[in-house]
This record gives sequence, C-alpha cells and structure tokens, in this order.
Amino acid sequence: MTTTGGLEAPVWGGFDPARAERDRSGRWPAFLTSVRLGWQVEANWTDPFLFFIYSVAKPLSATLILVVMIDIISGGGAGPYRAFVVVGTALWSIVLSGLSGLAWTILDDRERYRMLKYVYVSPSDFLMHLVGRSIARLAVGVMGAIITIIIGVLLLGVPISLEKVDVPLLLADIVGGLWVILAIGTVLGAVSLQTRQESWQYPEAMAGALFLISGAVFPLSVLPAPLQAVGLAGPLTWWIEGFRHAVFPGGPSGVGGPGSVWEGVTGTAAPEPAIIVGALLATGALVTLAAIGVFRVSERRAKERGLLDQTTGS
Amino acid sequence: MSVVETGRPTTPQEDADWSTSQVVLTNLRAIGGRAYPRITGLMREKSWVFFEILLPLLATSAFVFVYRALQAPAQYIGFVVIGGAMVAFWLNVIWMMASQLWWEKSQGNLELYFAAPMSIMSVLFGMAVGGMVMSSSRAVVVLAVASVVYDVQFAVDQWALLLAVFFLTLAALYGLGMMLASLFVMWGREAFHLTQLLTEPIYFVSGLNFPVARLGILGSLALGTIPLAVGLDAMRQLAFATAAFPVGTPEPAVEALILVAMTIVFLGAARLMLATMERLARKEGRLSVRWQ
Repeated sequence: MTTTGGLEAPVWGGFDPARAERDRSGRWPAFLTSVRLGWQVEANWTDPFLFFIYSVAKPLSATLILVVMIDIISGGGAGPYRAFVVVGTALWSIVLSGLSGLAWTILDDRERYRMLKYVYVSPSDFLMHLVGRSIARLAVGVMGAIITIIIGVLLLGVPISLEKVDVPLLLADIVGGLWVILAIGTVLGAVSLQTRQESWQYPEAMAGALFLISGAVFPLSVLPAPLQAVGLAGPLTWWIEGFRHAVFPGGPSGVGGPGSVWEGVTGTAAPEPAIIVGALLATGALVTLAAIGVFRVSERRAKERGLLDQTTGS
Repeated sequence: MSVVETGRPTTPQEDADWSTSQVVLTNLRAIGGRAYPRITGLMREKSWVFFEILLPLLATSAFVFVYRALQAPAQYIGFVVIGGAMVAFWLNVIWMMASQLWWEKSQGNLELYFAAPMSIMSVLFGMAVGGMVMSSSRAVVVLAVASVVYDVQFAVDQWALLLAVFFLTLAALYGLGMMLASLFVMWGREAFHLTQLLTEPIYFVSGLNFPVARLGILGSLALGTIPLAVGLDAMRQLAFATAAFPVGTPEPAVEALILVAMTIVFLGAARLMLATMERLARKEGRLSVRWQ
C-alpha cells in the first residue's frame, strides 16, 4: 500500500481536528506575500515614471480643484484656509486609496481573476490576505499625499516649518490614521463580498460622504450641529485634526472654532493633542471592532450563499 | 438534437445573406438586450440606491459647504449642484462604457460579441441606453434634492437650448465612451488605471465645481476636447443667466455646436476603431480572447 506522506486518514478512520488547525506561525510570511503580490498588481503594469504620474495626478488634481475654488472667491487672500485645504485633500487621497483596497481586491479576485475561492480555501487567513493586498494601494495613496504636500509647500504657499512640527503627535496620528483607514476599508470589503461587480465605485462614494463630515476641507463648525456631532464620532475627523495640529501648531482647527459644537460643549476653542490622540484611539477601536464583526458576518453569509465564486455583470 | 426543416436546402452563403429588415431587427434586439441587464439590475441590486445616489449627494454637499465656508455668492452653490449631477454621467461613461469591453474581454464575453451576428456598435449603444437610465436617476436625485436643500435659484431664459445642450452633452459623452471602449481593449491593464486617472484630473480641467473660464488656456483646451467641460459651461451659462461669474468662454449656442462636432467626431472615430478591432480580432484571434 502506498502512503501519502502523513496525509492519510487516522488509523481509527475519523476526522482529526488538529490537522485542520491553521498554523499561526505562517501568518506573517503569508501577509508579506500578500503585500508583495498587491504591489506587483498595482505597480508592474507600466514603467516607474508613468506609475508615478498616475499616482500623483489624482490627489494633486483634487487639491487644485479646491485651491481654484478658494482663489475664485477670496481672490487669493485666504492663505491659512488654503493651507488647511491642501493638507486635508492630500490626506484624503490616503482615505480614497485605503478604502478601495480591500473592496477592489475582492472584486478583482472574484470577478476578473476568479481566484477568490481558491484564496479562501488556502491555509492562510483570508482577512490577513486581503489586508496585505490592500497595503499596496494604501502605499500609493500615501505617496500621492506626500507629493501633494510637498507641492503645496513649494508652489501653493503652505507654510510648514519643520522645526515646529510636533513629531510624537504626528507619528501617533499617522499610525492611528492608517489603522482606521484599513478598518473602514474592511467594512467596504465586507460590502463587496455581497454586491455585484458594479460596486467598484462604492469605496469612492463612501469616501465622498465621509469627506462631508470629517473636517477635511472646511471646519466642522460650518455644518449643522447634528452633522458636527456625527463628525466628532468619526475617527477620520480626529486623524486629520491631529495631523493639522502636528504640522501647524496653533493653526485653524477643523473641529473647534467659533460657533462649533466642540466649543459649545467643552468651552475651549480647539482640542489639545492628548484629547485628539485619545479620541482617535477610542473611535478607532470602535470602528475596528465593528469592522471585524461586519466582515465576519459578511464572510459567513457569502460562504453560505455561494457568493465567493459568483461572477456578475450588467 | 432537433433539426429545423426549412423546406429547401440552403447554403451557408445564402443563410448569411440577410435582408435589411433582418439586420435592423437583430441590431435593435441587441440594443434592447444589452440595455436590459443595466435597467433590470437597478431593481435587483438595492445597495446602489445607498451607494450611488445617497452617498454622492453627500459628496456634492461637501463642496457646497466649502463655498459656504468661503461665503461665496449663491450661484456658486448652483454650479456645484449641476456639476454633482453631471458627474454621474461621466463616471458611467468611464466605468461602464470605456472600460466595459475590456471587462467583457476579461470575463470571456468579448469573443462571443464578435461571433454574434450584430454590430458591436449596437452592443455599445445598448450599454449607453442602460447606463443613461442608471445615471439619470442619480443625476435627477442630486439635482432635485440639493436644489431644494441648498435653495438653489435657477434663472433660465432659454429652456429649449438648455435641454438641447444637455442631450448633446450626453450624446458627446457616450460617443467618447464608445471610442474609448475600443482603445481600452487594446491597452489592457493600463486601461483600468487610466479609468482612475480620468476622474479628479478631468474634474479639475472641466471646472466641475467652478467656472472653467478661470483656468485660462487649460480651460480652453478642455472646452475643445472634453464634452463634460463644454456641456457644464454651457448649462451653467443657461441655468444662471443673470449671474455674474468669470467670463471668457463661448456663448451657449456656440458651445452647443462644439458638442455637435464632438458627437460626430467621437461616433465616427468609435465606428472606425471598433471596425479595426473587430477585423484584428477575427484575423489574429488575439484581441478578444481572455487574458491576452
């Protein structure tokens, strides 16, 4: 009788659960492989120069739209607000790319490459694989944001002074912000598991809606009070506020300001760094827990209904 | 397997020699058949109401609040609302027209289109009809709700010209989409990335949220090449006839003629490119096959 190298059924003929347990030591290499694969998919379709142009054109154009809007109305006299907007739109390019990462990976693998079911039954953790794949897209967004801010400083009069930057706040804010973006991206991944091929635009639509309540390009105080409250409950608001506070200490606040809900409740003009980080961590933790829960529910439903290998079209 | 008895034996050449009515009817059926899944899909996938109508409405609102933060004149809020409505058609054109044949190729359907006895233009026209229905629902909601919520006061003197410009803009946009569809098939993966590049950069040069005249030469170039830019500018001039904003662009009637020219050029180019692609697909058997 030939053997199968230890893969044959146990002598007693039953199912051995220990053999089905996933080896946790393999998670990290699997994650790194997913990151590498994601980067290959994102970047190897063209030469580095064209890839750079494609990566930067989108965030830079988004910034220029707002800069022109400001200049038309203010006649070039709204310097601090322009810096506020440039930083906000630059950061928003990270949100756009981060939110689409998981969702597009699912749509790509399910509908186009038709590999999702094979990835799902492989021993690696499904969510870890998806997060790994979406890291590359997030990295492209980060690159676009950095270039946009550099162009903002060089050409658009954004007054960032490196000596004044609050580095500990900036680092804490960046780590927390990227984590939160991946968590919200996970929610959209969960949605994509359930929807048809045309949900390519859903991440962008979600980002557009969050744009309204996150203080990215105007202070929350402009919004009606209920929308300000919703904005204050969102981690992206605190992430952007933290970034602005770190690079422009004492600059305009997106959360506080005259007539804001923040000022009405706390009596202070703007939140302190410790409060910003605390709020980012608290709201980020809630969003992360919710994201994992939503994803697990969606994953179970997709498995039950055979959605992992569906292909759709219209 | 059943055999259909036709009464007399025919040759393949005789079978392929269709009458004009057969050709027209088949192409009309192709248009209806390709529009059908897009229109029916609206009823079957409920999530699009939330993601493609409600959320874009909020995104449009964000730009309204930017102008409010700047205490801009009221008509600028109207500009944003019109831009928010028209962007639905642009997104539909680049995602569901320009990219669609490439997508069909990836799914293995494109070779079936070429094998079927109808014009590929009919397939694209069917896509356009279905896409217009989908996008119109979003555009109407954005226009109606945002106009009421943000109290946009339109001042229209020439309704007929406004409607003509709107429909000409759609014709030029979907003509461009048909033209890009064949290009995107040839470009392969690059096309997907190009689709993403055709969002914010195009919004910027088209003056989606501000008068395109402000961009000077760049705006003029956009007016001569991008239907969204010229259509938006004409519609703004017509919908806010009494408003004062940066001038320097042609009169709406002239812009309507530009749109007519664009429609003719784009549809002609689309027909030529699709015929070339179809010929290459049949000759080389490569362009239409999945993964190549």
